[in-house]
Amino acid sequence: VFVAAALVTVGAGLLVVTQRNPIYSAMAMLASFMGLAVIYLRLEAPFLAAIHVLVYTGAILVLFLFVIMLLNLKPDELGGEYPLPTRFAIAGLCAGLFGLIAFPLSQDKRVFSPLAVSTNPDAGDFGSVVRVGTALFRDHALAFELISVLIMVAVFGGVLLAKRKL
Amino acid sequence: MISHYLIVSAALFAIGAYGVLARRNLLIILMSVELMLNGVNVALLAFSRLHQNTQGQVFVLMVMGVAAAEVSVGLAILIAVFRNRKTVDTGDLKSLNG
Repeated sequence: VFVAAALVTVGAGLLVVTQRNPIYSAMAMLASFMGLAVIYLRLEAPFLAAIHVLVYTGAILVLFLFVIMLLNLKPDELGGEYPLPTRFAIAGLCAGLFGLIAFPLSQDKRVFSPLAVSTNPDAGDFGSVVRVGTALFRDHALAFELISVLIMVAVFGGVLLAKRKL
Repeated sequence: MISHYLIVSAALFAIGAYGVLARRNLLIILMSVELMLNGVNVALLAFSRLHQNTQGQVFVLMVMGVAAAEVSVGLAILIAVFRNRKTVDTGDLKSLNG
């Protein structure tokens, strides 16, 4: 399951950056997000997987599609691309970056130990809503409030920027 | 094994970096930024699972919040740019070019 999900995620990710038309990129990003949700489930984060599908495919991707339709770009309005040698050079650089990160990581032989079963039924299992919610609202309440302020500022800024006349 | 998840994370980050550097369409650059943020999320969740520490999952929630804010502002900027310049090509936006 993991290999299939990883292949879908990475393959769709490659499609996102290689498609010329943004609408195909958005569709590939949808497949990539679905694969990511499966990876999150494999990592014992069912709550995060649900939130990921809600926020990324439900909000962010729909926002992208909405803007693509709003702009309604003709094929000749898509803009130019860098010449092919430049793109190959950047691809080589990014492959080097991937190798530089992935090779040392592949030496990491640690395996996931089985999850500790909590004796307290109120504490919830690892990755459950109870556990994440407790950590979020008890230990990280300030960060949560700051994120809410950030999102509110972003909403006002978005309206201010996108509106023709206030 | 944790290394498998970290390699997927590194691959997503590298793909996103390629998209940001090599593409000139603003929409696709924003999508590539999303891919990079998702790559980081996978790494955070993998380490959270490895240490059985829920803090990593709280981190991922914060990253998702920042990503949502970033996309809303980024797309608003894109719309403003398109309205004024009729282009989404970063190569055409060189008013600051001395």
